[in-house]
Amino acid sequence: MGILLLIIWLIQDLLYLIVFPGLVVAMVLVILLIYLERKIAAKVQMRYGPLYVSRKVGGALQSVSDLLRFSFQEFILPIGSDSIAFLMAPGFMFAFAMMPLIFIPVGPYYSYLFPSTLTILFSVALITITPIYAIIVGWASDNKFSFIGSLREAFLVISYEIPLLLSVIAMVIVYRTLNYIPAVAFQETHLPGIILNPIAALVFIIVAIRSTGRFPFDITEADSELIMGLYTEYSALFFGIGMATPYIELYALSLIFSLLFLGGWWPVSIHATGLLAGLFLPGIIVIIKAFIVMMVLVFLRAVYPRYRVDQAVRSGWERIIYLGIIAVIISILEVIII
Amino acid sequence: MKDKEKRKLRGDVEGNARALATGFKYLVEPNRMTLDYPVESMKLAPNYRGFFTVDDKKCIGCSMCEMVCPPEAITMIPRVVSPTGETLPVQEGASQEAGAKPAKKTKRPVVNWGRCIYCYFCFDICPVDAFVRSNVHDLAYYNDADYRPSYEGYLKLPEDPVKKSKKVVPRPDMKRGIKYEPAP
Repeated sequence: MGILLLIIWLIQDLLYLIVFPGLVVAMVLVILLIYLERKIAAKVQMRYGPLYVSRKVGGALQSVSDLLRFSFQEFILPIGSDSIAFLMAPGFMFAFAMMPLIFIPVGPYYSYLFPSTLTILFSVALITITPIYAIIVGWASDNKFSFIGSLREAFLVISYEIPLLLSVIAMVIVYRTLNYIPAVAFQETHLPGIILNPIAALVFIIVAIRSTGRFPFDITEADSELIMGLYTEYSALFFGIGMATPYIELYALSLIFSLLFLGGWWPVSIHATGLLAGLFLPGIIVIIKAFIVMMVLVFLRAVYPRYRVDQAVRSGWERIIYLGIIAVIISILEVIII
Repeated sequence: MKDKEKRKLRGDVEGNARALATGFKYLVEPNRMTLDYPVESMKLAPNYRGFFTVDDKKCIGCSMCEMVCPPEAITMIPRVVSPTGETLPVQEGASQEAGAKPAKKTKRPVVNWGRCIYCYFCFDICPVDAFVRSNVHDLAYYNDADYRPSYEGYLKLPEDPVKKSKKVVPRPDMKRGIKYEPAP
């Protein structure tokens, strides 16, 4: 009996990691998001966007055909590259981009593979590991464009990580917990986080754009200057993985945003029971909220030009970090007054 | 905060808000200017300079077109005129039976489509108006060699790849810039 329970527990956790908020849903959302990103940008810029693959559904299978192309393309290993690091780094990058999903609950009855009460801390800490592998990729490629891209990534990491942590700390001070589920419960009884501390939400959104290389901060992959930035030397599936990694990061950050600022599974009560209201509905609501956040972030591609690297770093150190400190002060004042 | 900085900050906020609003406006009401090409295509003017060929009967082989061609796309190839009045390749003409009337040597133009700039100087200079024009301009080849047709290949005018598509004409529009309307 005990063994059976253990097996059920394991299967449940594996399904959680691989199917529902994990790998499969993340990949489907990424494929959908890449298609929508191209389509939205095309609409704003007076074009059609992807159309010829599956014309009847408006080119919706374009991303799938791209994925197939990446899967069966020839892989080229550059002669001068550090081959082990070159081959391993994209995989690690992708894995570390997926890792925060372990600690991000999408429902109140969420059993962890690693039970913890410090989920906010762990997920934010894991998000900051990915840039290390971006720097390794740039070094291992033996290409000046990749190397410049990785140096830019390093500059940006230093300027955006502190505001990210400050905005999360601001919300942690308000919720007085380092766990997502009590944080969502707090928002249910009080107000959503975006109303409690709008400055922290603004800082988190800006930092999310910057850490995933979305448009005004598309600096590491600046195609007009650096070909393809970090992934200049990559081809085939490795390039596909490298291209998908920022989107997976975006997915994780959007989930965190919807849990910390948009009230998580808010219309559904945290005390709801039953298979539908307790297990499935919260997850679906959280993912819909996260997807809307992702859509808003990819919409920026159609509007903004690119910052120069020094402008981005300067705005990080001179404006956004102060906004982060203001957010923390607002939270402290709220806690004192309430 | 200084006055200048305050104005700069206000400009930043206002500019970002206006940019996002404009983007959102176009997202809701898209104003597409792209021609949906193979489905609809532009109705071309009657004198549009497309692919062209030469009338084998009219051409006298004077090489004026080769001389005037700015990108040196036209090459004159040697041909022989058979007793029936057709031009043949040199080898075929030479293998005719002895005793017949000697084959007359001549030249015919062939265009390298990879070099041609469609200036139609050859049309202007041709003393016998031997060139034949067409409206077809949208062809592509898979091989580099296909850009340099043989004389027989050059004599055939290529078929219009968008013959079946819906023909449209562009009209200037105050609101949208360019509007495509069905051709009359």
